[in-house]
Amino acid sequence: MCDIIWCKKVKEDGTVCNTVNYLDPFNFWNWEGTIACAECGTVYYIHMIQGWMYRGPEEQPPGTKPDILPLYADQPLNGYTRYLPGVEGRTRPYLCLPRDIYLGKPDPRRFSIRGYPVRGWPNQPPSTGIAGSAGFKWEIEKLSPEVWQEFLEKKKKGEVTDW
Amino acid sequence: MLIKQGKKGLDKKFERIPLEDQPGPKSQEEMDEMKMPYEEYCRKVFDVGNEFIKPTALKGIRWLSTTMYIFTPHSVTNLAELGAEVIKVEMPRMGDPMRHCAPFNETYVYPLHDTRPMTGTGVACFNANVNEYYISMDYHREEIKEAFYTLVKMSDGLTQCYRPGTFDRWKQSYRYLQEINPRFISVWGGGFGYGPKIWGGSYDILGQAHAGLASITGFHEDFGGHPTKSTNWNIDWYSGTQITVAILAALLWRRKTGLGTKIEFSQVQAATRCLEYAAPLYGRFGIVRQRWGNWDTQLCVHGIIICGKSDYPDEKNPQLRDEARYVMVSAFNDPDFKELCNVIKRPDLYTKYQKHKDRVEAEAQVEIYHELEKWAADKSRSEVTKILKDAGLLAMPVYNDKEVYESPHFRERGTIRWQADPWYGDAVVHSTYSCGLMSKTPRRKFWDLRAVGADNVKIYHELLGIPLSTIKEWYEKTII
Repeated sequence: MCDIIWCKKVKEDGTVCNTVNYLDPFNFWNWEGTIACAECGTVYYIHMIQGWMYRGPEEQPPGTKPDILPLYADQPLNGYTRYLPGVEGRTRPYLCLPRDIYLGKPDPRRFSIRGYPVRGWPNQPPSTGIAGSAGFKWEIEKLSPEVWQEFLEKKKKGEVTDW
Repeated sequence: MLIKQGKKGLDKKFERIPLEDQPGPKSQEEMDEMKMPYEEYCRKVFDVGNEFIKPTALKGIRWLSTTMYIFTPHSVTNLAELGAEVIKVEMPRMGDPMRHCAPFNETYVYPLHDTRPMTGTGVACFNANVNEYYISMDYHREEIKEAFYTLVKMSDGLTQCYRPGTFDRWKQSYRYLQEINPRFISVWGGGFGYGPKIWGGSYDILGQAHAGLASITGFHEDFGGHPTKSTNWNIDWYSGTQITVAILAALLWRRKTGLGTKIEFSQVQAATRCLEYAAPLYGRFGIVRQRWGNWDTQLCVHGIIICGKSDYPDEKNPQLRDEARYVMVSAFNDPDFKELCNVIKRPDLYTKYQKHKDRVEAEAQVEIYHELEKWAADKSRSEVTKILKDAGLLAMPVYNDKEVYESPHFRERGTIRWQADPWYGDAVVHSTYSCGLMSKTPRRKFWDLRAVGADNVKIYHELLGIPLSTIKEWYEKTII
């Protein structure tokens, strides 16, 4: 169940925009800010509390920057012309990267979240064995002494925990 | 001392029953154990955290894993965690393609191979090839054939995932291998198996789609739902475990008959196993089962609802800030449902739907869950859980990974734990120890992964006796 903004803006050519902008409950359940119509770009202010439209939609002066775009929009009076999700500049893009720690490229790490060393960076010393053979243990003190020192420092500072 | 009648009972001859045949505890230690309260007893017999001092059930079994990705590797990992010696065979210098998959191309551990110092192994590869020895081998090269066949002679079985007929063409399939080792168990796991779609490869998503599983996963179309795949590769892990069951049965069969088995395992077929009543429903009534999302087609109330407030309103990460709002609620029998209606101050709902057969109807569920979510709209997930639990009802927040990691229940039972991987360093383990507890022969994890070919000398030289000079030559020619 999502609320909508039915844009009735009269465009320059005299026609009515008549676009239904869908406000999905996931993003708009508790939300205050401005949103642009997918068709004509008119910006509206809304304030939703627990899924109810508490204030708005109130048309904003031209040039107002929208905080967000609708998830999806269509024009039911015009044979259901649709703007699917992810249409650039019209509907909310599929960023799929709102998670603040996702970078989308290799993220070399030397320590786990509890502070112990992790062999997580490239260009490790080559194996010493024949045909790529290697011992059973990462001898960190020998192979990566700087990381081992860093680990000891962290330990001293109490930054290494059990969990 | 107990006595029993001898063979000639009428002669009234009696003999002593050995202590070990008598019922009851055999030692003071056993007697103490039997007196323990159940909880304490469980802690003692499972002794979580000390798995390594116990024996392993599959010690003595040697298995070859010529597998890739998750599905077939997992079938062998199960054996390795239970004590089998597993040799994972990978393509020289490249390894299992799964090594090159990482979530969002971010999370790698290093090194992969001496020749590729800047390339790592994606953590998506974790948990699927545990405790195995890693060798490299290019099956196409004549020089290595003998080593392969020698390994077959010395092993109990092999799991492979190449397209049907490929190993047969390379003279490595069951019908060739059983001639050199009649006790050999040969497993093929892949997409379709023989039949009209024999050439079809497989992925987890294909298994979910072809088996009809994705069509009944996700919300109903009326609520904007689509056929949905599970985010994780459920059917890979699930089908892999099914193969392991088949392997264990084949090992038992071999013990009885001395003969090996060919196991053929179609992933799309395996996924149909978990479709519950879908096929019988269609067979009897012609009804195609529909999706029902977070609710239940057989029980009401028995589903997941959304609450208005987050448990972590100030968190930066939207996974916590926005998504920590779901609660599983179960109150389907009459007294529980009545109590639930009282809690949400809608006793009229109970009056309207007193009988379960009424409230399990689709329209009734729409009304009931809507009212529940309306009630939860000004509450957080933990508030809802507490109110319902205090009323004696079953409620549980839908946990995310952070909360699973922090769960005291999992920590106490050792389900999730930190372990220093000897090769790649500190890692959270959530697989091996989650597969059930065993008092005598528990599963264990020695290591998660090693570099491509890290055990070439151990296997080719120490096990097969191939001279080091030959191994060096093979390495230079990229045969291994």
